[in-house]
Amino acid sequence: MEHLVDCFFWDPAISFDTELSFTSEDIGDGISLRKPVFTVEVLEKIIDRIKTARQEYRRTRDIPAVFDAIDKVNELWRNPNYKGRKIARNVLPIVTGFSIEMIESWGFDYFFDILKKENLPLAGKLQAQNYREFLPCGDGLVKAFGQPHIKYLNYEPEVIGHICAGNILGLAAFEMVMDKLVDAATWVKVPSEEPVFGALYAKSIEEIDPLLAHTIAVLPFNSDNIMVQEFLFSKSNLVRATGGEYARKNLSELAAKHKVPLAGHWHKFSFITIAREYLNKTQAQEIAELTSLDVCAWDQQGCFSPQEIYVEIGGDVSPKDFAGLLAVEIEKTTRALPKGRNSGKMQVLDGYYQYFTKETMGESVKIFPSKTHQWLVIYDESNPNCEPSPLFRVIRVKPVADIMDILQKVRPLGSFLQTVGVAIPQNRLISFANVIGQAGATNIRTISGMTLQKTWEPWDGRFPLQELFEHDSLHWVSIDTKDINTEIKTALQRKRLIVDDRLLPKKS
Amino acid sequence: MVKSIIHFPSDEWIKIFKEELNKNTTYQEVAKDWEGDFLFVITPDQELKKETVFYIDLWHGKCRDAYLVEGEKTAKFVFKGPYSNWKKLIQKELDPIRGLIRGLFTVDGDSRVILDQAKAAQELVNTASKIPVVF
Repeated sequence: MEHLVDCFFWDPAISFDTELSFTSEDIGDGISLRKPVFTVEVLEKIIDRIKTARQEYRRTRDIPAVFDAIDKVNELWRNPNYKGRKIARNVLPIVTGFSIEMIESWGFDYFFDILKKENLPLAGKLQAQNYREFLPCGDGLVKAFGQPHIKYLNYEPEVIGHICAGNILGLAAFEMVMDKLVDAATWVKVPSEEPVFGALYAKSIEEIDPLLAHTIAVLPFNSDNIMVQEFLFSKSNLVRATGGEYARKNLSELAAKHKVPLAGHWHKFSFITIAREYLNKTQAQEIAELTSLDVCAWDQQGCFSPQEIYVEIGGDVSPKDFAGLLAVEIEKTTRALPKGRNSGKMQVLDGYYQYFTKETMGESVKIFPSKTHQWLVIYDESNPNCEPSPLFRVIRVKPVADIMDILQKVRPLGSFLQTVGVAIPQNRLISFANVIGQAGATNIRTISGMTLQKTWEPWDGRFPLQELFEHDSLHWVSIDTKDINTEIKTALQRKRLIVDDRLLPKKS
Repeated sequence: MVKSIIHFPSDEWIKIFKEELNKNTTYQEVAKDWEGDFLFVITPDQELKKETVFYIDLWHGKCRDAYLVEGEKTAKFVFKGPYSNWKKLIQKELDPIRGLIRGLFTVDGDSRVILDQAKAAQELVNTASKIPVVF
């Protein structure tokens, strides 16, 4: 029997003058996705309704009511037997290509923790003059670079639009929550790669607080649907968008045409840095364990996924031997968090043959392949420059004489830099963070946590909540911990809960 | 009910605020679990030249003490913002929690506690708004 999953949401009480048409897409395994065919009349009614619902909500409820509602919604989702989660569990692996294990453990289990009431940001903005060096914020540190020159300010945005990229699972839900904290009505364009979760999450808000949910519209439409995009931009006070170069170009033009401020989050480059102090005989293997998780998480599809790993020489374990340790750990992690349907096998094979040739020709390269071509670790001394990875669990390990030398490699990337996964002792971390932050990086996170955004952290150098009402020229840089040794211990416990020895083949 | 018009910010204002708060039965009910003192810091802007600090000691629905601070003083919470935002706050044009989210005010201390005590915070504002003031 066919299971029809709706990829849209708005107040079901809206009545349209003409009957709404739908398309249905069979995605396999007996599941079809239902999407509406939008007309201007339909969109007008939807936008009018989210605006009136917003007015009514503001008049009758306060912000603590929003916090309470979101907390209750997340309580629903933290229950593995919640109906919405069951639907998501069945559908998301098929539509996203990620494995169910990845979606459940690295997705749901962590994501709904982020949206707990106590983790939501109450202060949307920090005063830059108080953060001219790395100072405590949340359970980490932040520093402001640049000047607080305000380019856009609107404390009362009425309608905020969101265009979500397909590589960040759960982004639509995060955006809905952020909008509610600034009292805005919300429309969300869900990505064609993952059009399901946004509507499921909005429906779960409706179960808890219908009026709050009716300030939200989840709208699946194709990026090339000019009519819909033009209409929605013309009705919005602000649009926040994530995407690649194509999205950046098109949406920037659209925003300029409609004079709508655009908060864009585009293509990024992230990498890992491991200092020699963590390459002693006891810790090197643990660091490899943690690093394997960053390489495997979301099959390296996120902007926060590492593209290269720079390993400092001078430790007990050489960068080349570290690459070998990493290969062993990626194999274990892959058993616990398998690759999904979109395995990127061609990327792995391409990398294998390219570097196999180099290795055979005597270049200073060594490959550590997976027997089943699920992943590939490449130790590469032949090219000291930074290079993008083919992704899909293909990672290069490169030696560096000193972690501060990395600056020269990555500085040309400037604003493309984003997350830096680190295993650097605290006494060297701040100076590293200062130079790498100055170069353009924004999020410095303890290894294994590269994909784990904390709600207090800036996103691409801006605070997610502040970005909804104010744009300035500041560039914020965060370090996800005040104490990296403790964070590494915690990360190791978390990792070993996911990558458990029980999952590994028994010794004969 | 206060009859005369009082200058804001002033020691007279905060003393009247204390009296009015202690008459507010709604505040007594919603703040019955509240324990903690505040510094309300009014930072200078175009209309106010000198920083003004109020100390206010709130304890289980009662205001035990309130005065204009001369010199140094510490408290469990510091709620801080520019004069123009304080004006909006006591005229009920700005909600304190919404002000925090937008960075119009800052709080030192556990802001979660303030979120949990939002109704008490609202009653503080309601009380302040009933005092006739001249700015």
